[in-house]
Amino acid sequence: MNLISIGINHRTAPIEVREKIWFSKDETIQILPKLKEKFFKECVLVSTCNRTELYGIPTNEFEDTQPIEEELTKFKNADNYVNSENFYLLHSSIAVSHLFKVVSGIDSMILGDVQILNQMKEAYLTAVQLKTVGKLTARLFDTAFHVGKRARSETLISEGAISISYAAVELASKIFSDLNNHTALIIGSGETAQLTAKHLQGKNIGKLIFTNRTREKAEDLASQMNASIVDFSNFLNELKTIDIVISSVTIPDYILTSKQVQKVMRERHNKQLFIIDIGVPRNIDPEVAKLENVFLYDIDALNNIIDRNLEKRRAEIPKVKKIIFEELEQFYNWYRSLQVNPTIQELRTQFEKIREEEVLKNINRFKVEDRELVDIITKRIVNKILHTPIVNLKNGNNSEVDDDTINKVSLIRSLFGLEKKK
Amino acid sequence: MNFLNIILPLLYILTLSIYGISFFRASTLSEKIKVYLLYITVLIHLIYLIWRTISFSHPPITNVFEILTVIAFSLAVAYLIIEIKTRIRSTGFFILVVVVIFQILSTFFIKDLINVPEVLRSNLLGFHVVSALLGFSAITISAVYGLLYLMLYHEIKSVKFGTIYQRLPNLEILEQMSFTATRFGFLFLTFAIIIGIIWLPKAFENFSYTDPKLIGTTFIWIIYAIGLIANKFAHWRGKKIIWLSITGFIISFFSMTIINMFFSGFHKFY
Repeated sequence: MNLISIGINHRTAPIEVREKIWFSKDETIQILPKLKEKFFKECVLVSTCNRTELYGIPTNEFEDTQPIEEELTKFKNADNYVNSENFYLLHSSIAVSHLFKVVSGIDSMILGDVQILNQMKEAYLTAVQLKTVGKLTARLFDTAFHVGKRARSETLISEGAISISYAAVELASKIFSDLNNHTALIIGSGETAQLTAKHLQGKNIGKLIFTNRTREKAEDLASQMNASIVDFSNFLNELKTIDIVISSVTIPDYILTSKQVQKVMRERHNKQLFIIDIGVPRNIDPEVAKLENVFLYDIDALNNIIDRNLEKRRAEIPKVKKIIFEELEQFYNWYRSLQVNPTIQELRTQFEKIREEEVLKNINRFKVEDRELVDIITKRIVNKILHTPIVNLKNGNNSEVDDDTINKVSLIRSLFGLEKKK
Repeated sequence: MNFLNIILPLLYILTLSIYGISFFRASTLSEKIKVYLLYITVLIHLIYLIWRTISFSHPPITNVFEILTVIAFSLAVAYLIIEIKTRIRSTGFFILVVVVIFQILSTFFIKDLINVPEVLRSNLLGFHVVSALLGFSAITISAVYGLLYLMLYHEIKSVKFGTIYQRLPNLEILEQMSFTATRFGFLFLTFAIIIGIIWLPKAFENFSYTDPKLIGTTFIWIIYAIGLIANKFAHWRGKKIIWLSITGFIISFFSMTIINMFFSGFHKFY
């Protein structure tokens, strides 16, 4: 198969390089038709924060992919940042296998990344809209998405949180049944706290409240996330109505002591209180963890959860590879079936089988001396029926599978039921 | 048909094993078949109970080991309803452990009584026993969910996230399930006690308010009453309420077994 994949990812280039060669959707819309026109019969460009990869069937067999690399870097004015060592080039089954690994999340920087499947789908749909996709890449990406879905449904490759913010939300979901009935307070404006707030919103948290020593920052975040705010000096009084606290302020003393939380717990009738302390130094007195119905976790505890989840995800890699192998095999079966000679052979076999069965069924109706003649005549009829379609099929190029050949072979296989035999 | 008495514990053990594999190993096949196996087992159990009722001309509620198989049945049915209604499929193993224990005890010790004491042939007895039985099933379910709550609470608190953490529903749901079961249990026990107080003095000549069984049951009823009142007015929740529920269950279990073995009273049947 003449498929190639040219790309840059987190293994071959640092973030400073990757961000220079990142293509937005608008940029993809501009460059993809040009790439197809110059180099490819069909192609798809995938660009995410960790990779920019071009999959395609080149117009001509070529050894040197430098012109393609140059086209990409020139378009992004990244000549001074990106060099040819950052690019990798994969051929044929290695390129297919790589695509399957990417889409299943085992090639991602975040092992089992769930976003990559949707990003790949978006990239593919853009290529479909730009009409740079052909029969082969269509089938290739279709199979790749199937691999992605199978990897996520049949293995635990994407299970368990592997970011601090998501681990916090996952823990909250193990304590509370419906976050919609609960209120969360975000103390501070750190990045992780913001991300956690976003995840909580994604899980339909009932009410989100921000507080910060600098009131303006809290107001900013609250307006961005459609949340409310409370004065930093007053947040303790609000705690009786709050079920989830995410704290990430840089402050030398504890902002919540065990005694204060004890009082709060009495006021809230001992209802469960979930506290995430991601501040360094810690914001909440660790003694708080000993109180009944109070669940306190610091950054180490969350990192511990992430490490375990990562370990579990790593253990799933062999299962994902097995799925990739199975799908690779099926994809190649399909691909081989598109070649002309095997199809002609199968067509002949099918017709010959029908002829033999019919002759066998009816041979006794003929005189013994005529039977050999019946055999010869029926063979001749079959050969004549098949002659024109076979000649027309052979006009296609047998060594290379192009769109015209795929169409013809697919039609023949579908009309005569050859697909079912696979 | 008496072979069903032998087959039933085996079927429950098989169902329990499949639920166990599904819980501890997260196997897809066991996840798919477990509920069907439970349906079949419960159906066979129902046939067994009907056969017993017809064969011995009385429902199987005349001695403790007959009652145990009925409780096992009602627990299994109650769990099936919970699984279908709540779509929480991961707690079956723990309920079925209790079902298996009750069914094994029943299978080994059940007697084929043909002659039932005249006193036990009463409609009021039916209501009394059915209420007590439903009450006991409910408090068993409450205790199992309570125990699961404590296990999950411990895992979350101690940051040890094992199978329990991964498979069980969240703390709020477990607490809610346990508490709902407690309410049902209390309601049915109250019925059973009221009917008992009306009917027992008329039925038994040697009836006594100091009967160990009666004292035990009243004590259990008071424990649950305290729990419900404390929840309503003192906002008791979480571990406190769960511990009360588990204590109530343990006392009920011993009341049904040990008191029967070591004390004699008018309530000697169960």
